[in-house]
Amino acid sequence: MAAAHEEGTWKDWFEVHGPRLLLCARQWTRSLADAEDVLQEAFVRYWRHQRQLPGDPRALLITSIRRAALDHARSESRRLIREEKSDRELEGTESSFARLPGEGDERRIEIEAALQRLPAEQREVLVLKIWQEFTFEQIGGILDIPPNTAASRYRYALTALRKELEPLCHG
Amino acid sequence: MDETLEELEIELKRLPPRRPSAALWLELEREFGHEGKAAPARAYRTATNLASWKWRGWRTTGVAAALVMLAALGLEFFARPSAARQSKARQPVSSAVAGPVDQRSPGSMPDRYRPVAASNVLYDLKDEGTVYVDGDVLARRLRYRYVDTYTWKNSSGSASIKWSVPRDEIRVLPVAMN
Repeated sequence: MAAAHEEGTWKDWFEVHGPRLLLCARQWTRSLADAEDVLQEAFVRYWRHQRQLPGDPRALLITSIRRAALDHARSESRRLIREEKSDRELEGTESSFARLPGEGDERRIEIEAALQRLPAEQREVLVLKIWQEFTFEQIGGILDIPPNTAASRYRYALTALRKELEPLCHG
Repeated sequence: MDETLEELEIELKRLPPRRPSAALWLELEREFGHEGKAAPARAYRTATNLASWKWRGWRTTGVAAALVMLAALGLEFFARPSAARQSKARQPVSSAVAGPVDQRSPGSMPDRYRPVAASNVLYDLKDEGTVYVDGDVLARRLRYRYVDTYTWKNSSGSASIKWSVPRDEIRVLPVAMN
């Protein structure tokens, strides 16, 4: 990651990190289109102005994405457009994960549906832990919660998912 | 954490997030245009290389500030005798004969310039990567770049002098391994 960050192009960097950042953005937005909007806003700001700042760039970017998502959600003028877009996208292209070949895709749909049923505060911790591989301390910093709270939300989320997915695991 | 949760974690990690859409890529292309290549890492040589153009700029500023200060002091120096000359002209001859004795006590001499403000502005911060301290402690080296500004004010008038000087501060912070 450091190499792409220091020497590569924005395309190299975005190719590697874009999908996981989009997944995070999706946790704080109501549609994939909104998630892409906030990702674009945060990434452009980061690449132009914040690349030289110290620390883990992903943590910085995710904090930036989260703020942009909150601002986006507050914007009343965007609400109607968002809902229209959301209605269109929910028809089939809204998945946050890449399609998998064969039966794996059914499992992917199951998992995604179970994720959607999690409380938002548990799901965001789970996504940051699983797909960004942050520590609970980093997650606490990003979400402005104590690391122990992040850890317990993570455990609750996994336990809830396991209950939902158990029939498939053992069936 | 029990085994089934660990298995679930592994299963989740195997799920690949979807790629951003072509529309987003196009938007980013439009935003960045020809900025595709990352700008080369900036070379921060100004603090250590006195031949740098930036140092030349600062040296010029320093010399200019010194000249301004000298000019202000000089003006005051020349202005004061002429005032003294005027007052002496009005004095009786006996006093003039006695010589130019400054009757003010040393305690009443006005301090010409007093420091009134000092500030610093952080204008750049660079992570210079990790270094080993004492051979085995991993640490992150950060370079903070400030401009310190000091202001003196003439207590008897409205003249003031400002002096700005660049300063680099290097902080080495231990890296937490978690």
